[in-house]
Amino acid sequence: MTAKVERLVNLTVALLETRRPLTLRELKQRTGYYDQADGAAARRMFERDKDELRRLGVPVTVAPVPHSEEQGYLVPRREYELADIELTGEEVAALGLAVRLTGAEGTPLALAKLAARAPDPVALPEPTTRVELSVDAVDAIADAVVRRRSVRFGYRRADGTDGRRAVDPFAVVRRRAAWYVVGRDHDRDALRAFRLDRMTDEPRAFGDDDAFTVPDDLDVERAVAGPEEEGVPVLLAVAPAARWAVELRGGARTGRTHADWPVYELPGLHPWRDRSWILGLGPDVVVLDPPRLRDAVVAALDAVLAPGADAPGSEPT
Amino acid sequence: MSATDDVARMLTLVPWLLERPGASLAEIATAFGVEVATIRRDLGALDFCGLPGLGGGDLFDVTTVGDRVVVQMADELKRPLKPTPSEALRLVLTVDAMADVAGEEVPALRSAVGKIRAALGIPRTTADVVADAGPLLASTLRDAIRDRVQVEIDYRARGAETATTRLVDPWALHVVDGTWYLQAFDHTRGGRRPVPRPRGAAARRGPPPPARGRPPPPPPPRYVAGPDDVEVVLVVEQGGRWLADAVVLDEQRERPDGRLELHLRTDAPAWLAQLVLMAGGQARVAQPAALRAEVVALARSARARYATSATEAAGAGPTGTDDHAAS
Repeated sequence: MTAKVERLVNLTVALLETRRPLTLRELKQRTGYYDQADGAAARRMFERDKDELRRLGVPVTVAPVPHSEEQGYLVPRREYELADIELTGEEVAALGLAVRLTGAEGTPLALAKLAARAPDPVALPEPTTRVELSVDAVDAIADAVVRRRSVRFGYRRADGTDGRRAVDPFAVVRRRAAWYVVGRDHDRDALRAFRLDRMTDEPRAFGDDDAFTVPDDLDVERAVAGPEEEGVPVLLAVAPAARWAVELRGGARTGRTHADWPVYELPGLHPWRDRSWILGLGPDVVVLDPPRLRDAVVAALDAVLAPGADAPGSEPT
Repeated sequence: MSATDDVARMLTLVPWLLERPGASLAEIATAFGVEVATIRRDLGALDFCGLPGLGGGDLFDVTTVGDRVVVQMADELKRPLKPTPSEALRLVLTVDAMADVAGEEVPALRSAVGKIRAALGIPRTTADVVADAGPLLASTLRDAIRDRVQVEIDYRARGAETATTRLVDPWALHVVDGTWYLQAFDHTRGGRRPVPRPRGAAARRGPPPPARGRPPPPPPPRYVAGPDDVEVVLVVEQGGRWLADAVVLDEQRERPDGRLELHLRTDAPAWLAQLVLMAGGQARVAQPAALRAEVVALARSARARYATSATEAAGAGPTGTDDHAAS
């Protein structure tokens, strides 16, 4: 293991240090590796090493060697090196905080790369808010986005039904503290957004790299808002106990009252999710408008009260 | 950890150390998020790196005195390797997420994410925050956590006629996939607990902090069952399957009839009743009977609000419902 690590580091140094493409024979002299008696075995070992370095992001470039039929190799320094980023000590600390508090694995190294030539982090006060990410899903999707590979995953729709989706992932966006992947849904052949926390298994990439191109006119914000998110203004009569919940949701008083309760207007509610939000507020809110939502809430309450609701009905197995 | 990871780290370790001659092993390990032993091994290997083939070799010079490290003769690796596109995107996403919820408290998060987004070439069409988490977070709670004061929360347990006021020492807000939890010591009920979705609550700054030490750092926002918890079995239809994610389960069973059976324990049956109600008939309480009755009572009084006559609605509130949450 250590021998291989050394070999890969030294190969990188040799390819970085050279100004002209080096043939395998020259690399053998320079590094002392790939000196197997069997030339084909040496070539295979080198090819494996080259591929491994490329996976790490080392831009190993193939170039013709003047006056020779052989291929040469080099790593252009400009493509290899991360240009200096003018980060302050506070910013380095903030980046460290983000990586630590979200527990994202694999990101510490990316952070170390950015911070390698930046000032040391200063001490920052611990923020009062933490955030947890569905790290595995974010990693899998991020990888598919940059490699332009399609992904497949199980998905639970807002109405609770499960299904499998195949998607060309164009972007990952955050909306009201939730992650979405935006992309082309293969089955519907249309732009859709999927919440990462509604995926029922880890997204798996399939097919080739560079399998799709991202449309030039992609509007991620609109994609996330989506047709099913199209909100309707809602009027609610709100009991004192639920006032806070409604205000937090963006409700504003209209100045009117309904049976002694103030009437609030909420700008745009989602037909499914917000029906259940309203149900959760129980007897503390009354939907006044639109009639469609009012009917949906009444129907859901009737379903809860359906015959047999107060009998065990479904015994555990 | 694969050889590939080791190589990526060593290529970063060199420029990092060239900038910081005399860094300690512990500092290095912290900066790279690995064990000190791993760094020791890396340094051992680095001593054999460079250009071994040229004459007697032209190797890096790694000197360790005590726990201080100096690397010289390694200018070929003066600058770090660019993060891979996937690493770059993940880092931007991570920092974006943190800036989204804590950007007001730590402004450097926002300026940093802007800089790394530009440097790493991640356009807004690939990763973006289109609507921030701001409205989800109660600034009263956030300010109280920062100023270390107690907060009075009017928390209306489901099924209760009126809100109860609880006095809590809050110490963190946790955002998990669009839902937030308050981590607090609850003086009224006793004990340290995560309060899921404290949205049926109003918060006021309470009295000044008591003269005692801060509570220990918050545990993960996972509910841990206690001995007095109520054992609950829910049977859910297709449309209520999201409940499985909304609660901490002991067990779940697929039933032959296509329904899903959820087994769990809770110390807040009133909250659970609210969740069952939210499923709108797609979930039923198989046991205990008291919780089932609570769901029905809530639905009945909510349904009564939609009766034609206002007087009928006013008289139909739930009566005699236990407030399990307060017991």
